[in-house]
Amino acid sequence: MNRQIRRVGLVLTGCFVALFVQLNYLQVVSAARLANHPGNVRAVLRDYAEARGQIVTSDGVVVAQSVPTKDEFQRLRTYPTGPLFGHVSGFFSFNLGATAVESAYNGELAGRAPDQQLRNLGDWLIGKEPTGDVVLNISNAAQEAAKAALGDRRGSVVALDPTTGAVLALWSYPSYDPNPLAAHNPKDVQNAFDAYKNDKGNPMLARAYRERYPPGSTFKVITASTALETGTATPDTPFPSLRFLPLPQSDKVLHNFGGSSCGGTLAESFRRSCNTTFGQVGLNLGEKLVDGMHAFGIGEDVPFDLAESRSTGPAAGTFAHNKPSFANAAIGQGDVAVTPLQMAMVAAAIANNGVLMAPHVAREVRAPDGTVIRQIEPKEWKRAVSPATAATVGGMMRQVVENGTGMNARIPGVAVAGKTGTAEVPGGPPHAWFIGYAPADAPRFAIAVIVERGGDIGDEATGGRVAAPVGAQLLTKLLALPPTNPNPTGAPPPGR
Amino acid sequence: MTASGNGAAAVPSAHPARRATELGLVVLAVLTAAGGYVLTSLAKRASLPADLLPFAAGAAALGLVAHLAVRRFAPRADGTLLGLAVLLNGIGFVVIARLDPNLARLQSLWTAVSVAAFVGTLAVVRRVRDLERYRYTFALSGIAALMLPVLPGIGREINGARLWVHIGPLNFQPGEAAKVTLVLFLAAYLVEKRELLSVATRRVGPFLLPDPRHFGPLLLAWGFSIVVMVREKDLGSSLLFFAVFLAMVYMATGRASYLGIGAGLFAVGASLSYAAFDHVHARVQTWINPWPTASGRSFQLVQALFAFGSGGFAGAGLGLGSPGKIPNAATDFVFAAIGEELGLIGTTGIVLCYLLLVGVGFRIAVRTEQPFLKLLAAGLTTILGAQTFIILGGVTRLIPLTGITLPFVSYGGSSLLANFVILALLLRVSDEAARRAEGPAGVA
Repeated sequence: MNRQIRRVGLVLTGCFVALFVQLNYLQVVSAARLANHPGNVRAVLRDYAEARGQIVTSDGVVVAQSVPTKDEFQRLRTYPTGPLFGHVSGFFSFNLGATAVESAYNGELAGRAPDQQLRNLGDWLIGKEPTGDVVLNISNAAQEAAKAALGDRRGSVVALDPTTGAVLALWSYPSYDPNPLAAHNPKDVQNAFDAYKNDKGNPMLARAYRERYPPGSTFKVITASTALETGTATPDTPFPSLRFLPLPQSDKVLHNFGGSSCGGTLAESFRRSCNTTFGQVGLNLGEKLVDGMHAFGIGEDVPFDLAESRSTGPAAGTFAHNKPSFANAAIGQGDVAVTPLQMAMVAAAIANNGVLMAPHVAREVRAPDGTVIRQIEPKEWKRAVSPATAATVGGMMRQVVENGTGMNARIPGVAVAGKTGTAEVPGGPPHAWFIGYAPADAPRFAIAVIVERGGDIGDEATGGRVAAPVGAQLLTKLLALPPTNPNPTGAPPPGR
Repeated sequence: MTASGNGAAAVPSAHPARRATELGLVVLAVLTAAGGYVLTSLAKRASLPADLLPFAAGAAALGLVAHLAVRRFAPRADGTLLGLAVLLNGIGFVVIARLDPNLARLQSLWTAVSVAAFVGTLAVVRRVRDLERYRYTFALSGIAALMLPVLPGIGREINGARLWVHIGPLNFQPGEAAKVTLVLFLAAYLVEKRELLSVATRRVGPFLLPDPRHFGPLLLAWGFSIVVMVREKDLGSSLLFFAVFLAMVYMATGRASYLGIGAGLFAVGASLSYAAFDHVHARVQTWINPWPTASGRSFQLVQALFAFGSGGFAGAGLGLGSPGKIPNAATDFVFAAIGEELGLIGTTGIVLCYLLLVGVGFRIAVRTEQPFLKLLAAGLTTILGAQTFIILGGVTRLIPLTGITLPFVSYGGSSLLANFVILALLLRVSDEAARRAEGPAGVA
């Protein structure tokens, strides 16, 4: 009998060895796959149960916070400001993941960023949950001003500090409320998400930095800058007064706005926004226009702290066989597609003596006790143009507002520099643009405004008529704001 | 044999080394469980468990009582079995308490009852051979126990299987008791008839079969239990009984042809039930590929796999995982809960415990001279090992999942009770074997 007993024992041992192999397969070989399987809620639950810092405006308004709950998630992410900062904070959702600041500063908010680690070791020892608060450059007041200036017209308003690259307002209309997307019931979240997605206004689209539009005549700032920078033209270079510019390699022509006759010196043509002049400048510049465009960041990945869409223009090396596209690009049509943020950066570069700063929405990361862990320092990204060129183009932009297409952007007592744009788009009224900065002699704010499809006046719309007043209203309010509080304090976070 | 000469002085009345080992192992097991209990509480509430003292005292008392009973009634028995059982029982309790404090309260009650049954078995069954006489009583009571849940009025269906008997406030799974009595019957019957059974008198196809007169009752008893269990939809127990039956017939007769026949019977039975029963079909389908029905019928298996994967090598830590996501985590799926919170380290430890348990059980069988004791020990060990493998293989998707408890670890009073009785019987066999080997006292 012993032989048989040993054999049965051997068979059972074999079974247990197989079990051991299978356990290694499950818990080592395919552990990561199983742990991160979309159907496995554990990893998500763990992340969502973790303490998470606040997102706070520069004037101390809480944009995002985690509130303790009784369910298995332990915390609910709420957005007290609702749609106002929806495209800035983004959302932190159980089944949809995270976007915008919630995604870009996820490590900092969760207390996992490298500069928080050492400090957290101490916190951990005393049983404190390590988190970080992200303080925005945007103030609640500036964002409200941007929202009010645009009203309920689809489009976007962006304001930058030209000297630091700090994003001071980042508004897109329509916006969305992140709260329903951060809810705990996956079904409700999906329904809310689907409702936003099916909304014709596309409220989830962060127009300010995710949507690309033809810039229209605001692009002439780049064309003029490039012409001056390369010596292709001076402000006084004369251009013929034309009703239209015949385009080479094609039987098409370039019209002035409203079919009028337009021309004069480069400065004069800039003030009146002559398409024929700038179409010709574009043809004169050729490939140099591509370089000039890149100098302002178009065609490159902007070192922005949120995930922006890359603005585009005509491709290098295509001038020889596609000259008309360069004439069109020079007036901001054709192959050019830019984000409102990008155009605000163009204005900011001119305002900042030709230096383009890296834009960033976050100002600093703070520990729960308020001490600053990391300052997001201003960083020079590019030199767009020489200081001399910047000064010249700035002067030309000032003329636009004082006595040109941008007169609606005038502000009593403050010199404003700007450029209007009326971008033709197929299938309806044009987009109305305004970019600029103020005060013109000591710039504090650079802005870009786009009102899609002419806003409420449709085909009648021009940048000067629709967008310039928005710019004026925004700049007026921004100039009236008290200087940024260097030490904002959010409301005491719940349950900490 | 420690025969060194004359008189009682040379023959120890007990086996102090073994008992000392046992006491040490039991203490270690209780400390391990208490440590796990503290860690769980620290992880969940950041404080020591409020009932740490009653828990530790209770666990220590139960372990000590069991140990003293062995010392008193089976002093020469193997010294490792009890420690292993207490360790498994303790870890199981910690996990159950972490999942559901109410179940834990019941489980602690059942543990006390089981230890009492353990002591009782050791105290009452002084000579295993005495049990041989009651073989048909065991067979009948086993069959009766298996039939109870089918009876209207007291039978009760839970999770699709009709395994429970419900009398007053008590829920009982009589199949667990049948497990022990049927092994007792098989051991006694097979030892008696093994000569006859190993002589083949008839040729059926390629197989030589023994006289059906001897084989018949056996087949009948087995067939009956299988039929009853298929009716109760208890696939795990069916498989377990079948495996143990085959193994015992093989061990008793030494004829491999029984294994061949058994394998054939199994293949036929399996394919028939695969075709005939939806729930069998479903079990096999979810085993082959659980993913398409991950939120449907393979939900619990997939949740178990997630738990193992999330646990990974080191585990989430006691109290830090989400084993509540696994349906039936305290009973059939307790191993997945362990896999999540203790990781591969923990699961490997548990598997090693069972491997040791089975190894010691078979060693006891091999070292026993008397055929009945030998076969009984081997049968009891086989049922422990096979049950462990069936459920562990099932929850890890090594074999199709059939619901059955994990011995000593899962929540479940009947199962715990039956397994402690099995443990007592194994210790009794071990003690008798050692006694016989050392000779009767004074005649060394």
